[in-house]
Amino acid sequence: MNILKYILKRIVQVIPLLFIVSIISFFIIRLSPIDPLAELRLNPSISQETLQKETQRLGLDKPIPVQYVKWASAFVKGDLGITSSGEKVSDKLKERIPNTLLLTSIVIFMTWIVGIPLGILGAMFHKSQFDRLLTIFSSIGMAIPSFFFAILLLIFAVKTSLFPVGGLTSFDFDEMSLGGKVLDLARHLVLPVTVLFTISLAGLQRQMRANMLEVMESDYVKFARAKGLSEFKVIFKHALRNALNPMITLLGFEFAGLLSGAALTEYVFQYPGLGRLILEAVMKSDINLVMASLMMGSIMLVLGNLIADILLIITDPRIRN
Amino acid sequence: MKKALYFIIITGIVILILSFCLHKDTSSYDTEIKCNACDTVEKYPLNKIFPNPKTVTIKGTDYLQSQLPVGEFGGRLITSTIGEGPKTFNPFTAKDATSSQMAGMMYDGLVTSNPVTGEVTPKLADSIKIDGNNYIIKLRHGIKWSDGKPITADDVMFTWKDIVFAGLGNTSVRDSILVDGKLPQIKKLDNYTVVFTVPKPFAPFLRQLTTPIAPKHWFTSIPDWEKSFDRILASTVKPDDIVYSGAFHLKKYVPAQRVIFERNPDYYEINLKNQKLPYLNQVVYLIVGDLNNEILKFEAKEIDTIGLRGSTVARYKAKESQSDYAIYNLGADTGTMFLAINLNNRKNEKNKPYVSPNKQKWFSDINFRTAIDYAIDRESLVTNIAQGLAVPLFTSESLNGIYLNKNIKGHKRDLNIARKYLAKSGFRLKNNILYDKYGNKVEFDLYTNAGNTERESIGVMIKQDLADLGITVNFKPIEFNTLVNKLTNSYDWDMSIMGLTGSPLEPHNGKNVWASNGTLHLFNQRPVGYQIDDRLVWEKELDNIFEQGALKLNFADRKKYYDRYQEIVYNQRPIVYLYSPTRIVAIRRKFKNVYPTTLSGILYNIEEIWIEK
Repeated sequence: MNILKYILKRIVQVIPLLFIVSIISFFIIRLSPIDPLAELRLNPSISQETLQKETQRLGLDKPIPVQYVKWASAFVKGDLGITSSGEKVSDKLKERIPNTLLLTSIVIFMTWIVGIPLGILGAMFHKSQFDRLLTIFSSIGMAIPSFFFAILLLIFAVKTSLFPVGGLTSFDFDEMSLGGKVLDLARHLVLPVTVLFTISLAGLQRQMRANMLEVMESDYVKFARAKGLSEFKVIFKHALRNALNPMITLLGFEFAGLLSGAALTEYVFQYPGLGRLILEAVMKSDINLVMASLMMGSIMLVLGNLIADILLIITDPRIRN
Repeated sequence: MKKALYFIIITGIVILILSFCLHKDTSSYDTEIKCNACDTVEKYPLNKIFPNPKTVTIKGTDYLQSQLPVGEFGGRLITSTIGEGPKTFNPFTAKDATSSQMAGMMYDGLVTSNPVTGEVTPKLADSIKIDGNNYIIKLRHGIKWSDGKPITADDVMFTWKDIVFAGLGNTSVRDSILVDGKLPQIKKLDNYTVVFTVPKPFAPFLRQLTTPIAPKHWFTSIPDWEKSFDRILASTVKPDDIVYSGAFHLKKYVPAQRVIFERNPDYYEINLKNQKLPYLNQVVYLIVGDLNNEILKFEAKEIDTIGLRGSTVARYKAKESQSDYAIYNLGADTGTMFLAINLNNRKNEKNKPYVSPNKQKWFSDINFRTAIDYAIDRESLVTNIAQGLAVPLFTSESLNGIYLNKNIKGHKRDLNIARKYLAKSGFRLKNNILYDKYGNKVEFDLYTNAGNTERESIGVMIKQDLADLGITVNFKPIEFNTLVNKLTNSYDWDMSIMGLTGSPLEPHNGKNVWASNGTLHLFNQRPVGYQIDDRLVWEKELDNIFEQGALKLNFADRKKYYDRYQEIVYNQRPIVYLYSPTRIVAIRRKFKNVYPTTLSGILYNIEEIWIEK
């Protein structure tokens, strides 16, 4: 009951937050000197009337506050509006969201499955050869920029022809059998997943290792050891549960990154995801599309934090009170 | 001692490696400069000229018959489109090139342009007769929409009257055929004959008949079709519903990935054995984000044809003999790169001049502009920036344009001539710095859009070229939108490096640039609704030319006008043209019946292209 109340309270708190985020982003986008009609203006075959019609259609002839109210009232009703080229924003998002989710959820799943144990191992064998090796790899992973790594892998794909050059599916995807389709998707996903996996794995492993080391130094772990418990019990029963708390908060952020965390990699690999769509929209100042994605990002972030908090309540009795 | 030894050894190794790198770098740089691709990629032989299809009547149906060798059926061609992919498949609402191209696959127009000469030739129409102001169009008998309904005069009437004249969708066709604010008349004579009547002779009208024809019965079967016009054939359309006339039709659109087109089994073009074209089963457009990705995809053999640029040409050329593709140099392309000079001498609402009075005096001085022109080293621009894959340009019509004035030969860079012109107007050189006759230092801003590396490099070279005259150029690459705003709205710029897409077939399309009240009259832009007549003498002549040139229907008569316009632009130099890029394309050799042309590229006869197994 208490938890339900807490959730409700949090959701109500979100509303003013979204309002402020939307106002700030709307005005910043509109005040930037990007003109969505710049390309049209430089086209010799476009007449003055057409330009005026386009300005009216996009609502650019009205003052910015009026534009904002128009957008906000539609947004509240669940209408995301149309893109500058006349397509429905919701349709565009619907096309892309599954693709991005596919990529990011695989990456997040893999990094957590691999990263947490590696972090624990790193802490358990602190200062051993194994830990040093892990440190070297995670340093490389953290230092290498994602776009650069992605380009290296692309070159690798071209030179060896082992993997396709970007994209998500082959041109004859629809003619394949189910097994073939899965294989084709996997082949396309290997490279982008490798890039994102390497980079987020490094961070996660370091974080987990640091948490674990800190806990291992604490008094209650020393006490558990002094009690004569086996090392296995000390680590998994006493140390791990405490070391996981900060990781749950991190999971909340990862949740927010589900839809927006891979833009650069998507762009290099020509992955048909949300990141590429939004990047292109920002370049053209396609306001409805950009706003929809910003709002989506904010909602996901708030939601992720909420989920993390609830999980913390469940795992950590101290927070419950 | 040991440490010192290590140090020496390591330094030695580093120096060795560095020297290798350096050596390699310089040598490859050398070959690139030497490998002037203009020499290595010989120009595509003009004797292999594309024969236009002819009309033949078989059992009451007027087919179009391809005159190219008979090929084999089957297979697919994979090509690419750069950017975000099509936004719509409706040819009447499409605003961007990709959408128009994809819609054009499915809907043929009454006429098309000959890919070699640019002449208007029949497509859906069987013949066109021009009788004064009347255009009598006879349609083919027996040809059908994909659902089996005949294509008749009703469809033509519907397309022109209810869509184009009514101003539905993209109105650029409507805008371009307005003569003195009046639209042509259209009348149906019988089921297969339509007459267009223009209010007065207007040459550009004929080419507008390339506008695709829409299936009346299908469009009108959509409830409330006029109100929901934007949604007809939108990118979310179900491919199976589409009724089309073209050689290919949409099979599947996977957003941000690809568009798949499949052959029309009942197309009205046949080969010399009277088999129905097209040969290919599928044409696939992969949607790629940028040029680099496109090149990678070509190298990984994921796409079959590509347009090449810059340094890649030399590399591809070197590999061509051991590869499965052929490279064609199609000569100068439609694009032009130019330096615009702001001649604006008006004042803004706050009574402040757009361009400072000192600069106004220089820019409006023809001697000054001529000196600038003579100081620019186009040959260096071509060799260094376009890697030899461009041609110096002196005319406002592009070099492949059918109205190009071939008498304008241009000139080489000549600083002495430039200095003579400057001296004529009293400019003086003091300590290598140029001053005008009132003692003002000659210094101005040169803009271009940041991020366009080609234009940025041009800016740097022009800055150096003009420095030889003692002129100080502040080269400022700025954000694209800011530049457009300067050019079309705030007019506060001095010189600017730009490019515009023109039409090699219809000089009248440049009217917005050259007419004194045009929306893109960049070099002397007047605000919308500007009433005062402050036209320069040659601006008046240009206005007259663009008015008269459209009234003459005969090519030779029109050519005289447009020759004169190019002469005026060349002599007055409000816009100094720099170069045109060369169009170079590669396609895998297994594709036959490939006849690339500079006007239409490589895939214009896609229905005739076949794969040799």
